[in-house]
Amino acid sequence: MSLEAVPAPPPMVRLEGVSKTYRRGTVEVPVLEAVDLAIDPGAFVAFMGPSGSGKSTLLNLISGLDQPTTGIVEVAGRNLAELNDRELSDWRAAHVGFVFQLYNLIPVLTAAENVELPLLLTPLSRAERRKHVAAALDVVGLSHRVGHRPPQMSGGEQQRVAIARAIVTDPDLIIADEPTGDLDRKAAEAVLDLFGVLHHDLHKTLVMVTHDPHAAERAERVHHLEKGVLQ
Amino acid sequence: MNYVRLAARDLLRNPLRLSLTILAGAVGVTAFIFLRTVIDIFYFGAQAAQVDRLIVRNKVSITEPLPLSYYARIAALPGVTAVTHQEWFGGTLGETQKDFFANFAIDPVTFLDVFPEFTTSPAELADFRNDPCGALIGEKLARRFGWKPGDRVTLKGQIYPGDWTFNVRGIYTGTRPGVDTTALVFGYRCLNESEQLPEGLKDMVGIYAVRVDDPARSGQVAAAIDGMFDNSPYPTKAESEKAFQLGFVAMSSAILTAVKVVSAVILLIILLVIGNTLAMGVRERTRDIATLRAMGFRPRTVVMLVLAESSVIGLMAAALGVLAAPTLVNGFARAIASQFGQIPDNVMRGRTLGVSALAAVLVSLLAGAGPAFRAVRMSVAEGLRKVA
Ligand SMILES: Nc1ncnc2c1ncn2[C@@H]1O[C@H](COP(=O)(O)OP(=O)(O)OP(=O)(O)O)[C@@H](O)[C@H]1O
Ligand SMILES: [Mg+2]
Repeated sequence: MSLEAVPAPPPMVRLEGVSKTYRRGTVEVPVLEAVDLAIDPGAFVAFMGPSGSGKSTLLNLISGLDQPTTGIVEVAGRNLAELNDRELSDWRAAHVGFVFQLYNLIPVLTAAENVELPLLLTPLSRAERRKHVAAALDVVGLSHRVGHRPPQMSGGEQQRVAIARAIVTDPDLIIADEPTGDLDRKAAEAVLDLFGVLHHDLHKTLVMVTHDPHAAERAERVHHLEKGVLQ
Repeated sequence: MNYVRLAARDLLRNPLRLSLTILAGAVGVTAFIFLRTVIDIFYFGAQAAQVDRLIVRNKVSITEPLPLSYYARIAALPGVTAVTHQEWFGGTLGETQKDFFANFAIDPVTFLDVFPEFTTSPAELADFRNDPCGALIGEKLARRFGWKPGDRVTLKGQIYPGDWTFNVRGIYTGTRPGVDTTALVFGYRCLNESEQLPEGLKDMVGIYAVRVDDPARSGQVAAAIDGMFDNSPYPTKAESEKAFQLGFVAMSSAILTAVKVVSAVILLIILLVIGNTLAMGVRERTRDIATLRAMGFRPRTVVMLVLAESSVIGLMAAALGVLAAPTLVNGFARAIASQFGQIPDNVMRGRTLGVSALAAVLVSLLAGAGPAFRAVRMSVAEGLRKVA
């Protein structure tokens, strides 16, 4: 059996000829131009680039939050253009976990409740949900903060809760837009260590946007975006 | 954690704003119930009246009298089964209007033939008829002043000058709820044969009340009565008691319309107050909502969460308002009862309360609709860009 005979696994993310243009009044502003990209399952990829280069826009397209003006976005074998709004919602719930720069936890919910939120969209029972929440908080090392609300936690802790929320449904793909952008060195390292765990131990596909070269170093591959063009 | 908990937590983000909104809504609901009840009171008189009765009054004005001699001529008309006459006496207990109650001179012989909804015992009725200055008092009036048969009541005449003393001979009750039992009636003779009677009022009465055999023909009978006296010095205007009372209501119809408009305006204010609170809440949560939707919450779920909040606000406001209304409304009814005399014991009907509560909940749902749809109209990507 020759090596060539083993078919390469299909990429987790495949972009083909993707462009995105925003309309501001009468002018069309190109934000992404002719992006071709493939990300393998289990890969850890970072995107860097100056502000306004289209990094967040690219993440939105990959995670099904936005549609490209032209081109194809395929994630986990699914052409996202084929899904309507409701199907996209369900698809995101099943396949994507999000980590945001400002954590985006619901301030009136406890850490445990925040982590449990995405599980409300699954058929899991209450008891099963509890178990998943406990496991996810354990992974991020915050089992002792279950009852605390976001305002009572440091930025680093909040981001770790957000990571627990992102992985609690066991998604294929984790999307992180500047996850360390608001954290100090130490907290950032803790978050990046966690990404390492997700990557190496849990074999998640990680797509991260960052301005921080230290953070980018943790990724297997770093792509650069300049004015909407992938370098 | 579940959706109910999530909605509850969102609702309690700003407890002060929430309580103020609910309070404002409750005040609105109470005011709405109050105004609807005022309208009910207006129509109550008309509803209580019977249609087989005609009221014959002086064509010029209700305050102008009619000759007693009309009695026999009206009674002789075909279709008329009974006739009686009444006179608004308007006497007061003291110098002031404070202890006001309605009092009339009536014809003791024919009164109950035309107004069978008033009853008294045969013995008391006989006593009343035998005493020229005998009086019957309604049971509510009797209770109010602690009067009983044998008591003497002296009224200060306003239209008929002087002090007038009547002997309470009996207490009348109503045969059905809604019959006014707050009045005093006394024999016409006491007035007509008195030396105190002012010049020109001898053998004059206020109105005639006529019972007809067929309510459907009451219009014809009314026309016959008016035709009979058309060319006399005292022309008449006969109309069914219902029409008479409705005419009374119609006099105030402009006010009535205003009350109706204001009650609708109150609903609009509730709408705006609750809508404003929800709009603020949704705007403050733009990023949270975008985050939920990024995680895969469907637009419909977000809409339902916002509508759940608005209906909870509406329900709380309705509950509080309905709880507060009886005190206010009954207090008002008591306050005006001395002037109206004819307000039923429980003026605030369950239906009014129910309709008001329902209106409040519907209005708050409507108030939630705008913010709810605005919450999901914004694209998720755009919502996520918004910082706080
Ligand atoms: N909804 C929109 N309407 C118009 N222009 C938009 C919209 N969203 C993004 N843009 C524009 O697209 C460009 C790329 O935005 P994007 O958020 O992807 O940049 P970015 O690389 O993530 O920048 P940053 O590092 O500052 O987050 C910017 O010029 C931005 O102003
Ligand atoms: Mg960005």
